[in-house]
This record gives sequence, structure tokens and C-alpha cells, in this order.
Amino acid sequence: MNEREDSGAGRDVGRYMGVSMRETDELHLVGHAAVATHLRGPGGGVRTGALLTMLDNVGGLGGGLAALPDGWVVSTNLTARVVALAHAGPLRIDSVLLRRGRNNVVTGVQIRDEGARDTLVASGVLTSAILVPENGPPQWSRPLVLDTAWQGASTQPLPPIREWLGARTVGDDSVEIDLAAELRNPWGILHGGVVATLVDLAAEHATDGGWTTDVVLHFLAPNRVGPVRASARVLGRRSDGHVLRVEVRDVGANRTTALAIVTAAATA
Amino acid sequence: MAAVYPPDRHLLRDLRFTFDHDADGRRSRAWMPVVTELCTDLGHARAGALATLVDVIGGGLAASAAAPGWIATADLTLHLVGAARPGSTVEARAEVLRAGRTTVVIEVALVDEDDHDVGIATMSFAVLPRRDTNPEVALIRDSPPTMAAPDSRLARPLLDELGVDFVDRDRGIIDVPVIDWSLNSMGAIQGGVVATVAEVAAEQALRAATGEPLVVTDLSVTYLGFGRVGPVRSDVDVLGTGAGHGSARVELVDAGAENRRMTVVHAVATRGLG
Repeated sequence: MNEREDSGAGRDVGRYMGVSMRETDELHLVGHAAVATHLRGPGGGVRTGALLTMLDNVGGLGGGLAALPDGWVVSTNLTARVVALAHAGPLRIDSVLLRRGRNNVVTGVQIRDEGARDTLVASGVLTSAILVPENGPPQWSRPLVLDTAWQGASTQPLPPIREWLGARTVGDDSVEIDLAAELRNPWGILHGGVVATLVDLAAEHATDGGWTTDVVLHFLAPNRVGPVRASARVLGRRSDGHVLRVEVRDVGANRTTALAIVTAAATA
Repeated sequence: MAAVYPPDRHLLRDLRFTFDHDADGRRSRAWMPVVTELCTDLGHARAGALATLVDVIGGGLAASAAAPGWIATADLTLHLVGAARPGSTVEARAEVLRAGRTTVVIEVALVDEDDHDVGIATMSFAVLPRRDTNPEVALIRDSPPTMAAPDSRLARPLLDELGVDFVDRDRGIIDVPVIDWSLNSMGAIQGGVVATVAEVAAEQALRAATGEPLVVTDLSVTYLGFGRVGPVRSDVDVLGTGAGHGSARVELVDAGAENRRMTVVHAVATRGLG
């Protein structure tokens, strides 16, 4: 893997989100993303699923760099709180290393809106397990520079997230997608950001348009077969919105692959 | 630290938990009687008290799932949706979601006596090689159903028992000593107590920021290091506020160990629970 990864297989999710990254200090990654039309939700701001994907992208890469040279990382859980629902852009995603243990890495990630006086948009923590890939960990030139912008995007607008994922509702509480090639990560499984976005869509569907403001997401197993379905159950309602339990299953493999606890605020 | 764990006077005895473990090592249950000493001024059990229940039952179950290896708690999350009031008993139903080579993930449902949802929690653990000093899993699973002695109980409100010192309420700065009463078996401040410290710090800062009597109903606790020396000190960053709610990021450090970072917590406070 080289320092400008514009064409590698499994990079479509990163390109769709349009996140570019720079390693500004050792193990301190800074990402930037435009508030692109295709990332916006019904409320006008960037969908929480897209914000979660950005957190996962930048935090995961930061965690991976911290794991070198022993191995690389796979996300195991992501927690995030979204505090600003309207965004001007560009967004800046800052990842800092909180802990590098024997078999896991913890990164803190915050998203700020540079077009709105650096207003905090989201704050999260990503935990990743350290693994040794079959062909060894990837090699990077340091300090790392990664530009994932979609080449040629200026001539062809990208579809909105729901359409891009091919998401369809199932009953009153579930959303399902097929495991399309462009939704896989470089290891051939469903991208973690897509799982997060699916959780966001299921919470929105189960609450008639609620906006995800808080997520705890545990990645339990890879999605390899599909279709992949997220099913939400409302546990209760509070002054900040509905609290839901969202379970993600690889229907084709007949197994649970992720569990999320979500708070969805009313958007009215 | 006392030679026998837990000592006669200890949090895990005084909260009067009882336990039941399934033989297959995939599920456990625990019960906690709710007393006024565990409650907020809005009259329901503190998130930190419930996090302590979750920590104890989740940790025991994860140790079984990771055997013959051992575990280190990586994170604990708790979302409350129902009030647990004095005189009631909260049941924690823990289940293994994943038991892999490097991680164990546990889900814990909290319900009241009528089977209504009180909340939901998750925990994840890093799997480590076993050391000679780690407890035997069989001892955990075959232990008596409670650690409480006949006279075990909270003599004072939980925060008084913990020795919470409110250094600056509006900024959420509190100091909490590391004492035998609240240690874990490794000689560091117990994970549920860590959650309680963050809860109290966030509650103070968010009440000041909103002017409303909010209570913490969500905690996402990421454990980074032990608190062994003390005092444990909080630093709160209010992330955002709205009508009837607010959120904060809390960092805890071991002030007596050169301010070593122990924990990062995201907390949400709301108007309370019905």
C-alpha cells in the first residue's frame, strides 16, 4: 500500500465519504471532508452514519499506525456523541492515540466544523484489536498522506447514501442492504462505516425520522454473505429522544454481526 | 490492600448483590436491592450504582468466557430508560455476545421486578494470558450466591462512602480517594466506582451548564489505566446542551500517580426517568 491510495480495491467507501488524511505529528491524524450534498440527511446536515464512517476511517487508520510494526487493526467498537446536527463544512476529523495495549488500540476522535468557527460536531472513541494480516501489516510512507477523493466526481453527482447503499426497509423496524462489492473493505467484508450507517438508517426508520445523536456500536463478526439487516427495538423514551437496541445480522450467514445502542432525537 | 478480597467492609458486600450463573458459561444473572443511599436526588438509582452491578456480573461472565485466559475490562456502556426506585430490586441479565481470541463482548439487560426495561449495558474485554495471580474461574462460578454478610449495608449515601470531595461543582471537578472499600481484586479502584466518579462529575457540570436538575442516564466508559494511588480527579468538557438534556466528556486521572490518565467517559444527562 503506498501513500496515495486512489485506486485500491475496497476503497470505495472512503472515496464516497471524501475523507483525506494527513499525519501532522507522529500518530496524530487529521482528516478533512466536505459537507457534500450526497452525505446530507433529511435535516440538512451530514447524516450521522456518514459522521460515524469518518470517525471510523480516521480513528481506525490512526490506530493502525499505532499498531505497527507488530500488526494492523480491525475495529471492535465505536462510541460517539453527535452534538451539532447542522453543518457548514469543511469538517475536520482529529484522531489522537489514547492507549496502545498489547492487543488493542484506543483512539479518541473528534469532528469539528471549520466553516462554523470550529464548532464541535461529534466526539467519539474507537477501540481496535491488533491482528497480523496474512500478508503482514501494510507498509506506509510516513508521515502518512492519504487522499481518497473520488476521481471525476465533479462531472457526475454521487447518489445519496440510502440510494448508494441500496437500502430497503423491511417492516416497521428493519433496514436491509445487499453486500455489494463497492461496500466492502480491503479485506472483502462489509465496511465498518457501512454497518454504522445501516444502524443509523434503522434507528431513523424505527422512530419515524429520528436523528441519531448517540451510538455505541460493537462489531461482533464480519459480514461476508449478505443481505445484511439492521433491526431496531425501542427500549424507552427520554427527554433527549428514543433509546433503541439495534441488532445487525448477516442474513445469508445466519449470524449476528453487530450490536448497537442508539439514541435518536426527534427532528421537529 | 487487605489480604482477603473483598474485605469485611467493602462495596461489593454492602451493595448486597446476589448472583446466579448458568452452567454453560454463556449467561449469568445478578440482583441489586435499590436503597435510598444509592439514589440521586430525583429518587432513582444512580447510573454509577447500576454500572457497578453491570461491571461485577459482566466481569465474572467474561472471565468464564475467556478461560483459560484472563481478561482486562476495555469499556462499559450503560443507557437507562426506566427508574429503579428504593424498595425495588434490579435484575441484570448478562449474556456473552462474542468470545474470540482477543476480545469478549457482553450484553447486560437491566429489568425491574415486573420485567420492564430499566436499561441496557454492554462491556468489552481484552483477552490476556493467564497469570498465577489471577483468580480461578471455577472459584468465581462456584462462589456463594452473595458476598454480603448479614450486617452488610450502606451506612451512608454512596457518594459519602466513596469520600467524594467536590472541588469545583460548576466545572465538575471532584476528587475521590483510593480506599480499601472501593478497590477491585487487582488493588485499583473498582470499575463501577470509576463510572460513578465520572457520573457525578458530569452531573455537576451539566446541571451548572443547563440550570436544570439533570441526572446522568448514559455512560460510555473507556478504561485506559488503573487508579491505584489517588485521589482520582475529574476534568469535564461540556460537549453540548439542549432543552432537558446535555452531554459531556469526562477524563479521570490518578492525581497521585503524576496525573496518569485512567479513563475517558462520554456521559449524557436528561430530566430523569419515568
